[in-house]
Amino acid sequence: MPCATLAEPVCHQAGMGKIVLATGPGTITTVLGSCVGIAIFHPRTHQGLLAHVVLPSSSGRVATPGKFADTAVPDMLKQLASLGICDSSLIVKIAGGSNMFGLPAGPMQVGESNLAAVEAALAKAKLRIAGRHVGGNKGRRVTLDCQAGSYRVEVVGADVVIL
Amino acid sequence: MNTIDQVDRTLLQQLFSAATQDASAAMCRWTNGQISLTLDEISELPIEEVSCSLDLGDSLLTMVALTLQGELGGTMLLTFDEQNGRDLAASLLNRPRAISPEWTELERSALNETGNILGCAYMNALTRFLDAELIPSPPYFLQDFGASVLEQALMTQALNCDTATICRTTFRREDRALDWNVLFLPTQALRDRLVNCVAE
Repeated sequence: MPCATLAEPVCHQAGMGKIVLATGPGTITTVLGSCVGIAIFHPRTHQGLLAHVVLPSSSGRVATPGKFADTAVPDMLKQLASLGICDSSLIVKIAGGSNMFGLPAGPMQVGESNLAAVEAALAKAKLRIAGRHVGGNKGRRVTLDCQAGSYRVEVVGADVVIL
Repeated sequence: MNTIDQVDRTLLQQLFSAATQDASAAMCRWTNGQISLTLDEISELPIEEVSCSLDLGDSLLTMVALTLQGELGGTMLLTFDEQNGRDLAASLLNRPRAISPEWTELERSALNETGNILGCAYMNALTRFLDAELIPSPPYFLQDFGASVLEQALMTQALNCDTATICRTTFRREDRALDWNVLFLPTQALRDRLVNCVAE
């Protein structure tokens, strides 16, 4: 009897403003600059979400919920709730929020604003941040492993960090 | 933000072609006639689709960035593939290509100056047309994921609208296309001012 071939784990991409849901052993990856990647993982069901947050506040703008910190977090929780996941064992990690051009204070410092807004949105939802790799002036490629729950952060010229 | 109609897009194309010609002339002088530029396209895309459309993704790129501050603002990104970027630096410095994997300070300066010359030529052409001053920042050398840098460049547009206007220019060395690009991402205010000017 031939052995069943194991399917390759699916690697999903979370583009700007998107929220992607996946199940382990799948992964979700994206590249971040001033944007913030919010990873939420449920260890029992191996469900994971990655939101690629672009801006701090929706201010009433209608767009994809993942685009803004104040709409991304509620939408992620809503997606989990639709799967019957409402417990407090969620693990949250964040990365990104860089200032890529090394500019002084001004509208281009949106990375810092994004970080502050994401932290506020998570606090409002009573979610504790278990790991973070934020700020600086370099880009990040991040990958959420929906089997292990790890959040891998790659920065050019630096060692890989696993949150 | 109103989208650009086809007539305005054609007129904008003519405007940016003229600016690109100025930048091309400056680049020819800088490189002793080796390299020229042509306007590739002007496109208007949802912010979320820009990275995929430009196919920058998670490639590691060498880039020079210049920003325009003020209301009539924007970002210009000059992107290079590694090999040709280092060859250009060597040519400008009139010395053999450096063998170290890291870019030397002199090589970075040569590329920064290239970005400065291109950026200033481009902005001077737009300034003459707009009769308003556009002053680029000092150039900023980066080696990073292309999509990361693009995100930052899109932020001033993303703050106010859901689409981005992108002017893409390609380079040629004699008969050969180079894997370089100039991307100009104007703010909404600059873009609207340009559209209004061409429409008059």
